[in-house]
Amino acid sequence: MKPLLTALALTTALTLPGLAMARQVTLTTKLDSYGGDGAYLAFYVTDPSGAYAGSLWMAGGKSKYYQHLTGWERATGGDTRQINGITGASVGAGRTLQITFDLADALFDAGYTLHVDAAVEDMRDSPGELAVPLTAQGAGTPVRGRRYIASFAYDM
Amino acid sequence: MRKTLTLAVAASALAAAAAIPAWSAAQSAGSRSLPPSVALAGDGGEQDLLRLASGEDEDDRHGYPMGGRHGGGEDDEDDDGDGHGGSRGARSPAPAGTVAPPPNGLFGNGAPPQVQVN
Repeated sequence: MKPLLTALALTTALTLPGLAMARQVTLTTKLDSYGGDGAYLAFYVTDPSGAYAGSLWMAGGKSKYYQHLTGWERATGGDTRQINGITGASVGAGRTLQITFDLADALFDAGYTLHVDAAVEDMRDSPGELAVPLTAQGAGTPVRGRRYIASFAYDM
Repeated sequence: MRKTLTLAVAASALAAAAAIPAWSAAQSAGSRSLPPSVALAGDGGEQDLLRLASGEDEDDRHGYPMGGRHGGGEDDEDDDGDGHGGSRGARSPAPAGTVAPPPNGLFGNGAPPQVQVN
């Protein structure tokens, strides 16, 4: 009996920190009805020093258009390995993109910033469409983008 | 002599009349040898748009704004899966769900993101 309890305590002790290190976060991005084609959107994070930390999502699958997502392109050098497994379709005007992740807890309240670049075919590019600090307090607060995003919020 | 000359001129005129339309038709056929095809793009929750899709001739557009589809554009679900023709020769990324997210330290457990478009 005692070895069983010991094993149970040990597995619990090993599991809990893992659960505590990640939290489920939902990004909700509603696009304006700007009257154009689907928008390419790059979601990426910078660390407290402003250096690129990594990408969270790329809406739009054709690498030839990534050069129009200027901030992301500059940060990554256009390295598409950064977005393997986190790329989906572009998002139509007026539509809402909702992405749910398990994100590292360390990203919140630690000076990290989430950036979104946007580009639409035959319309003006919008690097730095929006940038929001990742904080527990900022969760659920809608933010408007500069050109194509009507509202953006992250919830957890 | 005069009769021969007349025959020669008439033959030339006939040949020209037949050749010019034929040459013109051949030129037109060559210019539209790859007609754009119409495809419905989208699946599941992704956007559904009627798109014109054609060959690779638009792939090297690096102009501003983001390249147009006049005479052959793009869509997200068409023939880009070969990974060629990207800017700077970059391969197109693997779509979500086909491989694990990159190990960039942002994702807590490596599970793929859940995506929905409304």
